[in-house]
Amino acid sequence: MTVLAVENVARAFGGIRAVDGVTFDVEKAEIVGIIGPNGSGKSTLFNLLTGTLKPDAGTITLFDKDITKLPSYKIARAGLGRTFQIPALFVNMTVRENLWTAAVQFDWNNATARADAVLEQLELTRVADDLASTLSGGQQRLLEMGRILMQEPKVALLDEVAAGVHPRLRQIMLDAIRTLREAGTTFLIIEHDMELAQDICDRIIVMDAGKIVAQGSFEEISHDPHVMEAYLGVTAE
Amino acid sequence: MSKPASGGNPYLNLGALAVVVVALCFLPMLTSPYYVRIATGIALWAGIALSWNVICGYAGYISFGHVAFFGIGSYATAILMQPDYDWNFWATLPVAAVAAGAVAALVGWPALRLKGAYFAIATWALAEAVRELATVVDVTGGSGGLKTPIRLDDNFFFYVMLVTTAIAYAICYLLLERSRFGFQVKALRDNEVAARAQGINTNLVKIEAFVLSAVIPAVLGGINAYWITFINPNSVLNTIITDQIVVMVLVGGLGHIWGPALGAAAMFLMQEQLRVSYGETTAYIIVVGAIVMAVVLFLPDGLVSLARRARRMRLVRQLLGRARNDVTPTRTEKQTEEATP
Repeated sequence: MTVLAVENVARAFGGIRAVDGVTFDVEKAEIVGIIGPNGSGKSTLFNLLTGTLKPDAGTITLFDKDITKLPSYKIARAGLGRTFQIPALFVNMTVRENLWTAAVQFDWNNATARADAVLEQLELTRVADDLASTLSGGQQRLLEMGRILMQEPKVALLDEVAAGVHPRLRQIMLDAIRTLREAGTTFLIIEHDMELAQDICDRIIVMDAGKIVAQGSFEEISHDPHVMEAYLGVTAE
Repeated sequence: MSKPASGGNPYLNLGALAVVVVALCFLPMLTSPYYVRIATGIALWAGIALSWNVICGYAGYISFGHVAFFGIGSYATAILMQPDYDWNFWATLPVAAVAAGAVAALVGWPALRLKGAYFAIATWALAEAVRELATVVDVTGGSGGLKTPIRLDDNFFFYVMLVTTAIAYAICYLLLERSRFGFQVKALRDNEVAARAQGINTNLVKIEAFVLSAVIPAVLGGINAYWITFINPNSVLNTIITDQIVVMVLVGGLGHIWGPALGAAAMFLMQEQLRVSYGETTAYIIVVGAIVMAVVLFLPDGLVSLARRARRMRLVRQLLGRARNDVTPTRTEKQTEEATP
């Protein structure tokens, strides 16, 4: 069952085509990795999918509903959650309040108990009443993941969510992703860590210069000449 | 299952508010009318400062035109109490609230899409526009102003002002610290893009917060217009009112529910003391400037943070005391036995 369908989506900034005719589908409970060099359009694609930016062309469908022109808060309510490349926390709120706020449009009545469980799961209980601004970089990413756990979206877009996270906590994060997937959540994950991408992703989409240059299993794309060119600058013979 | 909430224990906070209000109700019986008027002024400013705290401290939008809503409320009451209309005072207050709320919603819809200095300039322009309008149209009496019916009962105005401000504080506390709405408002203050990603309709929440922050000064403006018996653009639409509000909130504690009340009390009392001591001089402005600098440098979270700092100091003393006990030689059981004859 296709949960997210992206059809010919494009977005330019001045003369730069940040996303250029991207088309792909994501199936229910699939974990899809999006990789590519810096500036290849991955985060812009996430911003288009979540309504933070509007595409110049193309359509985005979530559960057969066209969300291309919807404002981002409606897309979030429709079941599409996200984390940010640079953690976008509510810095004047405590860690616990950040988690509560993630449930403000969703399961508000059970938010306190669920936040306690998430804090424990991500080992953030010790800093639960500290301001989010005082967290380390890794803890900030954990908190972003915590907000996803609070929201329980149908589709979660994770933008380098494990970058800078301690290996043990990263494992906790990956376990959380797997648990959510088993419950039916679909994931799109931007990741530079190939080991992690290989570990968790069912399928990889490779982007370069705003376009999809390859997609398939990790083994398939790792031998793809376009990928080698994009990543290593080596032209396959 | 308890719902998420911030702002400390609600029973303690609202209980303390109720105790303060009840205690102040005895003020007219215990002091002279002069002090009752001072207390009325503090209640008025505490309420107006609270309203600015809602849009700036909680929602993160700096409004330099908040006096517009105070003026709209003042004029709504004053106009409706003119002999031509002869409305009952109480009936004018909802009209004042609705008028200011409607203006806030209409202006807020486009203006709240602006950020930072642009929003501040837009609201400043709103205040100037309202002031100019009040100066030129007939219904407001132009620059000559309007008289309201005289009611020589300072205690009445004290009680009305006190209860209105207390209700405003209770509502704001419940809305901003104990409800879903408060978390939505604070989320948009901290990171609007992230707030939208949590499903929050930030445009709507901003307008709701702006309307809330407009209604409070409008009602207080209406009461004020009846109290002072005469208003004109210079008295109720003067930008100095906004400046005073800003200073009071900064001194009391921006983004803290009780900060504006503390700031209003401190600044109003100081203003009155300076007036009594030195007359109508510029000393007040000089002292205010020095206080603002001192607060920004040494007490950036305002007077409300003093309690937290004091707690921290107590903790330091406790830790020092414990450390002192640790290094003080104490007799062991053996030494005690040996020392015992």
